Amino acid sequence: MQNRKILNSIILHTVLIIGSIVMLVPFLWMVLTAFKTISESTQMNPFVIFPTQWRTDAFESVMTKMNFGRLYWNTFVLMLGRVFFAVITATLAGYAFGRLRFKGRDLMFSLVIFQMMVPVQIFIIPQYLIVSKLGMLNTSFALIFPGLVTAFGTFLLRQSYMSLPKDLEEAARLDGCNIGQTFLYVMAPLTRSAMVALGIFTALFAFKDLMWPLVVNTEQSTIPLSAALAKIQGQFSANYPELMAASLLAVIPMIIIYLFFQRQFIQGIATSGGKL
Amino acid sequence: MKLKKVMALMLTLVMVLSLAACSGGDNSNEGGTDSGASTDTTDTSSESTDSESSDTSGSSDVALTVAIWDTNQEPGLTQIINDFTEKTGIKAQIQVTPWEQYWTMLEAGATGGSLPDVFWMHSNEIARYSEYEMLLDLTERIKSSDVLDMSKFPQEIIEIYNWEGTTQYAVPKDIDTIGLWYNKTMFDEAGVAYPDDSWTWEDFRAAAEKLTKDDGSQYGLALRPSNNQAGWYNLVYGKNGYIISDDKKSSGFDLPETIEAIDFFASMSKDGLMPPYEVLAENEEHALFEAGKVAMIMQGSWMLAELCNNEYVIENADIAVLPKDAETGRRPSIYNGLGWAASGNTEYPEEAWALIEYMGSEEAQQKQSDLGIVISAYEGTMDNWTGAYPTFNLQAYLDMMDDLVIRPYSKTTVRWENMANDKMIMAWTGDKTAEEVCLEIATEMNALLAEE
Amino acid sequence: MSTRTKVKGTNRARSEFIWGWMFILPTMIGLFVLNIIPIFQTIYQSFFKAGAFGKGNVFVGLDNYRRMFADASVWQALINTFKYAVVEVPFSIAIALVLAVLLNRHMRGRSLYRTIYFLPMVAAPAAVAMVWRWLYNSEFGLLNHLLNTLGFDSVNWISNPNTTFIWIAVVGIWSVIGYNMVLFLAGLQEIPQDYYEAAMIDGASAVKQFFHITIPLISPMMFFVSVTRIIAAMQVFDVIYMMMDRNNPAFFKTQSLVYLFYRYSFVESDRGYGSAIVMLLLLVIMVITVIQIRMQKKWVNYN
Repeated sequence: MQNRKILNSIILHTVLIIGSIVMLVPFLWMVLTAFKTISESTQMNPFVIFPTQWRTDAFESVMTKMNFGRLYWNTFVLMLGRVFFAVITATLAGYAFGRLRFKGRDLMFSLVIFQMMVPVQIFIIPQYLIVSKLGMLNTSFALIFPGLVTAFGTFLLRQSYMSLPKDLEEAARLDGCNIGQTFLYVMAPLTRSAMVALGIFTALFAFKDLMWPLVVNTEQSTIPLSAALAKIQGQFSANYPELMAASLLAVIPMIIIYLFFQRQFIQGIATSGGKL
Repeated sequence: MKLKKVMALMLTLVMVLSLAACSGGDNSNEGGTDSGASTDTTDTSSESTDSESSDTSGSSDVALTVAIWDTNQEPGLTQIINDFTEKTGIKAQIQVTPWEQYWTMLEAGATGGSLPDVFWMHSNEIARYSEYEMLLDLTERIKSSDVLDMSKFPQEIIEIYNWEGTTQYAVPKDIDTIGLWYNKTMFDEAGVAYPDDSWTWEDFRAAAEKLTKDDGSQYGLALRPSNNQAGWYNLVYGKNGYIISDDKKSSGFDLPETIEAIDFFASMSKDGLMPPYEVLAENEEHALFEAGKVAMIMQGSWMLAELCNNEYVIENADIAVLPKDAETGRRPSIYNGLGWAASGNTEYPEEAWALIEYMGSEEAQQKQSDLGIVISAYEGTMDNWTGAYPTFNLQAYLDMMDDLVIRPYSKTTVRWENMANDKMIMAWTGDKTAEEVCLEIATEMNALLAEE
Repeated sequence: MSTRTKVKGTNRARSEFIWGWMFILPTMIGLFVLNIIPIFQTIYQSFFKAGAFGKGNVFVGLDNYRRMFADASVWQALINTFKYAVVEVPFSIAIALVLAVLLNRHMRGRSLYRTIYFLPMVAAPAAVAMVWRWLYNSEFGLLNHLLNTLGFDSVNWISNPNTTFIWIAVVGIWSVIGYNMVLFLAGLQEIPQDYYEAAMIDGASAVKQFFHITIPLISPMMFFVSVTRIIAAMQVFDVIYMMMDRNNPAFFKTQSLVYLFYRYSFVESDRGYGSAIVMLLLLVIMVITVIQIRMQKKWVNYN
């Protein structure tokens, strides 16, 4: 019986380890290639796996050609902007939809649901035209624009509010709070985990957004990481060490943040999925 | 736990800041809002007839945006722009957007009314931009300029950027020719003599055969179907065929000479003298060359910075003129020239013009060649160009200038070009014969041309 | 007394009305401007042929749609997108579910594994696509090198028209497994242990427990994941944009519908046609979602 357990455990871990290797190989390859010379990266006989010398040339070159500080900043602004607006609008609306009763509520909410089912590409051209006519192409505003409100976030927060005990508002009213105060001091703080979840979710998907920044922020001054990476494929064409170095520099900050905040990340994603 | 969070935040902040500090940023001038003391406050340029109509009091506040697509040219052009800034006090900042996204970026700017101030124009797109009047009209300014001498530029290049014979929308910047790159080491190993000006295309093919190894580790040639300007176009004209008629109304793809030329390369692919099509598709020609996979490639002079700075190429390769056609004796090179254009509604028309004028001046054109950036369009400024990379036979590119054919274009070049390139793939893979492909292309191209 | 409550009631109702609308106003305004109206604008746009630079829109009625129906590349792209979804969604769900079950217990290294499997989600798709493209490179890539060392022939991972979509879907699966896994873990934690204990007492094997307890009880979560993942897969763009280009022989049989949309709308400035394509996408997604919702009765267990 004991042996069986150990055997199972070994099999289990073997499978998991193999899976982990598959998950990690691309990252490892990114790292290894970034430190090679161009010749090493394309050499065939013999094939080069580990760089003979760990050169930082690719990194230096890529950092001069691309202003990573700027890219990080732009991405940060994009993420922060979207999180800020998403959380605020969604939490307000989520409370109203979840706890208040007023005429037109259900009709409005059904519009929210409808939007969630529609592929996002439908919005891109009109949104692009709006930004363009406002003359706001290539601005931070443009980046944040599609994320100003979030149907998904509204839905999430509504679920969260709905799961709170019913008597809370009664108690608050007895204490003399109006609706606004009830919301601010009593209800909202209780949905903190949902707000965090929404924040993380929004930040992550803002970071990964490719088509919108590609279309709307083409200048170096405001372009975020994802779109910048897409562009360099044309610029560095076959210089794989540089391509990989740039990719690494692009993913490392998020990975570091993730490693420090994994619990919140995973919790956040689980909550956003679980509540639905 | 809280400490961990704070640490993580600090770490990220530190990283971001340090990267902002130590990264070189854009190599060009920072658009000057912090101008402080500027040398000249007014344009010292010679377009005397235009009064100082710009509302900026001192040009020290002006920062022109300059858009280009070739990252290899950025350092050199920045130097030239620095000279310009020293002379006029007008600052300018280069932004590189790779070719794939350049036109999308430009179009977005044009639609939103915010084009870059100064940017590169190309024969593929000039018609659209001219027709919709997106560009600054340079005709009068050119006429009254003391600095610009349009007669020194190749007439055909000027014509590209001239709309309906009346309006000049761009000033020529450079010309490019096509050359043959070959791997000396591989030639030595196979015992084949280096290409020279006696080579015909038959010699070319024979060499490729000797240079192709059976085990697939080395091939004689890499030429993609999409490489028209630096590739098969040249042989088409070498055989006295053409891609588009002079009146731009009909396609030349159905000419027997054209078909012969295309078949020449397509059969080299089918006969295994080139890497398998999948490899060609996944890797650029110069990448294969730099990796020691192929012995020869045909490249335009704009690829110089890329190739001449590559360690492997420096050690093993050199340049030769293209082979000539045995029958016609012709050795044409397709050539093209970019143009400097300005936005039709730029805030700084005078300053933008000043920059364009300077870039077309003999001084700037000379420097452009000297630095080895590209072959300048201005007559007589290209003598020093060969000195940019002395270990290579750059002279080959200049020798190709004896027989120049302007890159085929029409009002809607991109549409038929993309169509042709897409179809050409099947000739390479052998799915269709070159003749079939060419006839298909001719039919569709004629239909597209009729719509113009 | 009753009038007092009535007055109180209407005051309350009034106040809730005001507060309610105030609170939803930002979101609703945003939704209208950003989403609702654009839907109509896109529909509208699909009946026009856009001129260059946003000028000269010409009304062409159903021409864009006629062109679309006759356009082989559109239908191929639709098929391509289906092929992609058919590979990505089931596999990513199945593998993620198995992983979640394996990790849903107290074991050593559990959070390490969880971290590792979630890591690809955090990396920017552009970077991910670039490194995979390099791994898949038929000439210089690591994968073919490994195959060759083991004595196998090289494979044209991303240049074979018939199979490329599979390997691109693999990249998709790789990225999203962690995400699905986390959702499933959350769902698994809702399942009371008693069920498993009872099953064990009855002598049911782990596999049986999986199929008879786990799957039924986690089916709501599976439903949610499959609906959302299918919708997302139908919108695939990033990986295709980064890993394929026109030169690629597999291009025609791999490009997705959204990729076509991007190309027509933003590269060729044919916004009217692009809008028509998006309409097609919307239709397809809605049909699929409705089918899925109908079918949920068959296999999803709600308590």
